[in-house]
Amino acid sequence: MDILSSYSFIIVMLGTLVLAVACACIGSISVFKGQSLIGDAIGHATFPGVVLAFMIFGVLDSAYLIIGAIVFGILAFHLIQKITDHSKVTLDSALALILSGFFGLGLVLKSYVQGHPNFNGSQGIDDFIFGQAAYMLRSDVYLIIAAAVVSLLLFYVFYQPIKIYIFDQTFSQTLGIKQSLMNGLVLIMTISLIAVGLKAVGAILIVNLLIAPTVIGRLWCTSYPYVLALGMIVAGISAFIGTYLSTAFVGIATGPAIILVLSCALLISLIVAPSGPIKALINKRRVGNQL
Amino acid sequence: MIEVLLVLLLTALSTALLGVFLVLRGQAMTTDAISHTILLGIVIAFFITNDLRSPLLIIGATLVGLITVYLIEVIGQSKLVSKDAATGLVFTSLFALAVILVSKYLDNIHLDLDIVLMGQVLFAPLNRIEILGIDLPYALWQLAIVLLINVTFVALFYKELKLSSFDPVYSIVSGFSTSIIYYSLMSLVSVTAVTAFDAVGTILVISFFTAPAATAFLLSKKLSTMIWISLMFAAINSLVGGTFGYLTDTSISGSVAVISMISFFLVFLFRKDGPILSKIHLPVP
Repeated sequence: MDILSSYSFIIVMLGTLVLAVACACIGSISVFKGQSLIGDAIGHATFPGVVLAFMIFGVLDSAYLIIGAIVFGILAFHLIQKITDHSKVTLDSALALILSGFFGLGLVLKSYVQGHPNFNGSQGIDDFIFGQAAYMLRSDVYLIIAAAVVSLLLFYVFYQPIKIYIFDQTFSQTLGIKQSLMNGLVLIMTISLIAVGLKAVGAILIVNLLIAPTVIGRLWCTSYPYVLALGMIVAGISAFIGTYLSTAFVGIATGPAIILVLSCALLISLIVAPSGPIKALINKRRVGNQL
Repeated sequence: MIEVLLVLLLTALSTALLGVFLVLRGQAMTTDAISHTILLGIVIAFFITNDLRSPLLIIGATLVGLITVYLIEVIGQSKLVSKDAATGLVFTSLFALAVILVSKYLDNIHLDLDIVLMGQVLFAPLNRIEILGIDLPYALWQLAIVLLINVTFVALFYKELKLSSFDPVYSIVSGFSTSIIYYSLMSLVSVTAVTAFDAVGTILVISFFTAPAATAFLLSKKLSTMIWISLMFAAINSLVGGTFGYLTDTSISGSVAVISMISFFLVFLFRKDGPILSKIHLPVP
């Protein structure tokens, strides 16, 4: 039981818990809009931003690196939009292209930095790929809390317009809700959460935190507020258990541990939940037998 | 140096050939998912054989690749979860499992996470094997076989691939099984991805699959033209990127991915109906 009261556990747990809850809430927007994988592309695309910020500022301080991450996240998003708007290339291919191109740039810069004597202490950069929650500092947790509070507040204030924007775009245009404003708002909330979460869960896996809670919620509930609430609760619990497991057992990284706990919850929901695909398959068979 | 470039070139050609059909079908991100999850197959097969060169690794990885595709299909077909959400969920879960297995049990073995990410094409010539009296890197042989298989597949099933990519409904009506074509394509994607794994790593292989094909897609209106242009860009990207990475002593596969993205954007900007040339009104002769 002494793990639960240890200082480092509390710091890491607090950070991942707040991050997971906020991601669950904000991620629901892109899941319902059918754009979940944009989060994946942005997650990968932030990596060169992190390395570049390190090269410019020369310190591995999260506050500086996050600026780079956000800039590159926004850049990647705009490039994806440009490609899909101005050519016949589909969103799917554009995502794959930008994701790999940016991540490749990150790896090129990383190998340059790590082979160069001018840049000291560059080892920590690797932490941003897979996440290294164990090295999270108090300041990292403050950053996560700040980003989470701001985005949740924005979400709360704009709850009605966001809801209409998600479920009925035509109606929201009729009401005079600026689409570009909403797109920008969602983008900023998503990117800032990804940026602060990089150190905790890493660039590759963070998209899971954005998608999984909403899908779990959707399997059990039908109305948006309930989906949100259940998703946030499950995300919070998963973050807690995942952090506990990674602290209790040596060699288990926190980010992947949280993702695995969340995946277990998802797997159980898929099998047990009343509207899950497995239940649906069984029901279909039953109907078939009756005919 | 020449052998390194050859390995890159063969990787690029065998991936870009399949990439054409992936881009046309909108399956680029499914490929991304496969390229991540094959790591799990490699790790599990490695636990069984303890040999990074065992053919069982390819079989394990291909199986996991197919399981990935199947899971995405099953979850995505339920009306509750869109297909791209399913993709994002399946690959991150399996990849997280693989990362934990690697970091917990294989910490001091060659299979470290850096190589998983970017591959090490520079080490490829060190692993040599002699077949028919010709002494060539192991990876080169492997890739040559994969390229041959891919070319044969596309040549034999060209009509079926074409039909099921452009008009799946008509293809079913005509009596082709689209799912057999789909799953054979996806198994070849897995085999190719795991063969390319050593050279370019799990994440950047997606650039090899999609970037040349997407570039060719901008320039062509015919499938056969698209395939040739795609192969051409694959060759240019891999040779230019490989040389750049080699000379600047940076990540070679990363350089190829960057060069591929740059060549896409050059074509994107300067193609005939692109954002720049369409604005310039050429004087009518």
